[in-house]
Order: sequence, then structure tokens, then C-alpha cells
Amino acid sequence: MNMKKATQLALGIVTAVGGFFDAGNLATSAQAGASFRFQLVWSLLLGTLLVIFLVEMSGRFAAVTRKALPDAIREHFGFTAWLVPFLVLTLVHFLVLASEIGGICFALHLVTGLPPAVWALPVAVLTWLFLWRSTFGTIENSTSLLGLLTLAFVVAAVRHHPPTGELLAGMLPSLPHHDPAKYWFIAVSILGSVIAPYLFYFYSSGAVEDEWDPSYVNVNRGIAFVGMGFGSLIALGAIVVAAVVLAPRGIEVNDYHQAAMMLTDAFPFWGFVLFAAAMAIACLGAGIEVALAMAYTTAQTFGWNWGEDLDPREDARFCMVYTAAILVSSLLILFGIDPLKLTLVTMAINAAVLPFVAIPFLLIMNDRKLLKEHANGWISNSVAAFLLVLALVLAVVSIPLVIMGGS
Amino acid sequence: MKTMDLVRDVLDKQVVDRDETKMGRVDGLLLEIRPGQPPRIEAIDMGFVVLARRIHPRLEAWLERLRRRFGVSSIRKTARYRVPWSAVKDVNPFCVQLDVAALDTPAFDWERWLRDHVVAHVPGVDS
Repeated sequence: MNMKKATQLALGIVTAVGGFFDAGNLATSAQAGASFRFQLVWSLLLGTLLVIFLVEMSGRFAAVTRKALPDAIREHFGFTAWLVPFLVLTLVHFLVLASEIGGICFALHLVTGLPPAVWALPVAVLTWLFLWRSTFGTIENSTSLLGLLTLAFVVAAVRHHPPTGELLAGMLPSLPHHDPAKYWFIAVSILGSVIAPYLFYFYSSGAVEDEWDPSYVNVNRGIAFVGMGFGSLIALGAIVVAAVVLAPRGIEVNDYHQAAMMLTDAFPFWGFVLFAAAMAIACLGAGIEVALAMAYTTAQTFGWNWGEDLDPREDARFCMVYTAAILVSSLLILFGIDPLKLTLVTMAINAAVLPFVAIPFLLIMNDRKLLKEHANGWISNSVAAFLLVLALVLAVVSIPLVIMGGS
Repeated sequence: MKTMDLVRDVLDKQVVDRDETKMGRVDGLLLEIRPGQPPRIEAIDMGFVVLARRIHPRLEAWLERLRRRFGVSSIRKTARYRVPWSAVKDVNPFCVQLDVAALDTPAFDWERWLRDHVVAHVPGVDS
């Protein structure tokens, strides 16, 4: 492996971690740990396994065909077939973006005391400015390096010495002892937050931006496995901290305020600020990826010029998509929607729409005319088949669970 | 005989201009029906109304009415951009290349308008 590949591998892993841990992971992990201690760890592990495969597939597809997913899916299945997944994807991206902006606003609220709604427009402008001014490379580097701050959850988890037996027991699914509707709602929300469609739709366009070719297939495998695995470790850290700090005190996370105390035991002086900083950075990094995922998907669907490295004058329509997306989704926060509730419901919707966004993707991974020897093998397809069954179940149960279990 | 599958290999494919600037997709294909002879590809159709028609003809009529109603026609003169097949330079696995300059075509009407009326007014964009 040459130097450039090694750098790409390292950078890709850090970026994957930066993009992985977001408002959705923080909210669902905090709720899971506070209400059910380690009992829902299995849901995080299952989601991580599936997202590793999905991200690996989308990167492999981009490296081999040099086409991003929306581009290839429209070309392959035609506009009318792609239209419904495209609209569904745009809607969930919009809600996820609002959740990330809400997360940043809440972090600023924690530090300043001003209501989150006050921060909605300044945060929207900051996020937009970041996208408008930067190239793809700067975005990768800066958000990912700052994203390492979220490792505070892992450090805190280790400092708390969690009970190993109980933690290991949580890795296997078990039935809840209380509040079954809430248990299953959080289980589904965790899956939705981990298998977030923006992760693999962003990743495939990013690989095209970085001009990957078939020689990147192995680099891609490393990034998907280590990056997603490491990202999930941060979410695991958050579950452990919530279980050790919040659960014994009977604190349930119905509001981000309760989650904000998570780090104060492990870091007595800095815990509160550290939580706010980690939350703001995680949400900013993910928000940028979601906004870009929206712009990539729309531009590719209609064949517009696109690329984060181009001057906005060369791809005005592409830039207008993320500009409008950021502005409109920040309005949800401006109008006072509770960021945590929005995030939890959005994660369940993420899970519900999985069949729409995953089916065309998994079908195209088997096209030997496009992918030749790099088409999915039996291992990837077994995981894909399992994912499809799970996605169909999630599509049916998610929305009823939001109504029954979502607070 | 070399053949090409129109639906699989041409329809919905990325369209680029002679400098490889992405300028849209093959939203529709038109065949010329000639008496006593096999049909021949006449043109590539591009534009939102072409896409609307693929969903439902009524949606196409509705979009056309909306355009007139809101005076969008001052930005984009024609709702569809029809390129004769003779302008097609190359069809490859990645794209359909046209022998035109994207910026001078109706496919770039919106792009041009947004660049001149929105992007140019954002502080920090040097003109």
C-alpha cells in the first residue's frame, strides 16, 4: 500500500467516525442507557454490523464504477422507479438535518442559557458558511479531527468501570422487564440512528469526489469496518455512561437537559462543557454530511453539475440545494420544536423508510455488468437479505411504536 | 451489427457537453417514424416537463400551466430542451456527450440565472 492510500485510509476512518456519531446516536444511546441500562446494546451491535456492510458496498460501488449511488440508480432503474425513493430520502434527510441543527442549538443553549430557538438562524448560517467556503478536503479534515472530541464518552465509560457481565449480557437480545413499548421504540430508533441513509449516500459521492478507482476496494473495506466500528464504540460509550450515571439515579432522558449530566461524574469540572462541545461538534459534522448528501442526491438525480470542490458559480443549483435545505430545516428549530423529540421520531422514521432506500441499492450491487468481479458475493448478499427482512419488519412496526412508545 | 439498447444504455443517462460539464440527463428519447422505413432516433429530450410526462400526462400539463402563471418563462424560455441526435458526439458507459457548450443551451437557463442573480450577490464571491 502506498503513502497516498495509507493517508486515505487513516483519513477515511477518522471521517467515518466523525460522520457516524450524531444527534441520533447521542439521543438514542442516552435514552437506552438511562431507561434500560445495558439491555439494548444488541440493537447497536446489530445496526453496526449492517451499516458496515452497507457503507462497504456503497464505497466499493463508487470505486469500481466511479459513479455515486443516486447517479447509478436513476440510470439503471429509470426516473419513475427512482422518484419515490428519492422523495423519501429527501424527506428523511431534511428531518435528520433539522435534528443535527437542533443538537447544535441545544449545545449552545447549555453553555449560554439562551433558548435553542434563538440559535437556530446563527447555527444555520454557520453551517452554510462552512459548506459554501470549503472544499471537500477541508470538510473531511476539520470536522473529523474535531469529531475526536466525542471520544470523551469512551474515556468516561472506561473510567466508570462498567459491570462486564451485565454489559456482555446486553449484547444478546432479551425481552424487557418493564415498559415494553418504550423498549422496542428505543431499539428501533437505535437501528434507525445507526443505519442512517445519509451515511452511505454521502459516502459514495465522497468516494467519487476523492476520485477513487478499483484499486481502492481494500482501502474502502478498511474504512467501512474500522470507521463504522469505531463510531459505534462512541455510541456504546454513551450507552454505558448513561447506564452508570443516569439509570441509578432514576433519571430518564425525556429532554436533552437530563442527558447533559452524563459526563459530570467522570470529568467533575469539565464534564458539562465537554458534553456541550462534543454534542455541538458531532452534530455539526453530521449536519454538514447530511446537507451535502441532499445536494449530491438532488444534483445527480437531475444530472446537474455537482462537486464540493467546484466554485459555487460553477454549480449554483447544487449549492442552492444545501442552502435551502439548511435554511428550511433550521425553521423547525426556530419555531420551537423540541430537538430531542424531533431526533427520536426522525430516527424511527429512518428505520421505517429503510426498504425504500436500501432495496434499489442492494439490487444494483448485484449488477455484474456494472461491477464485474466486484459484485456482491454470498456473504454480502446474505447480510443484504437479512437487512431486507429486518427493513420490512421495521417499516411495519416503526410508526406504531412512535405512537405507543415515543414520549 | 453493433446495437445499442436505448432504454438500458441511453435513457436516463448523464448528459455532458463538449467540455464534460454535466448538463442534465436523457429525460426522453424521440423516434422519427418514417413511412416504409424503420424508425430512427430523432432527438434527446431534456427538462422537468419531460420528466413530469413520464409520471402522468396531467402532471405535465399542470407544470406547463404553473410556468405560465408564475412567469418562469422569463428565466427559462422553453420547458424542454430538444437536442437532435446529430449533436451526440459519444455514448459511453459514463455519459452521453453532446457537441454543444452547456452554458449556451436552455439546459443551463436555471444554472445561469441562479449564478447571476443569487450566487453573485453572496458576500465573499468575487465577480
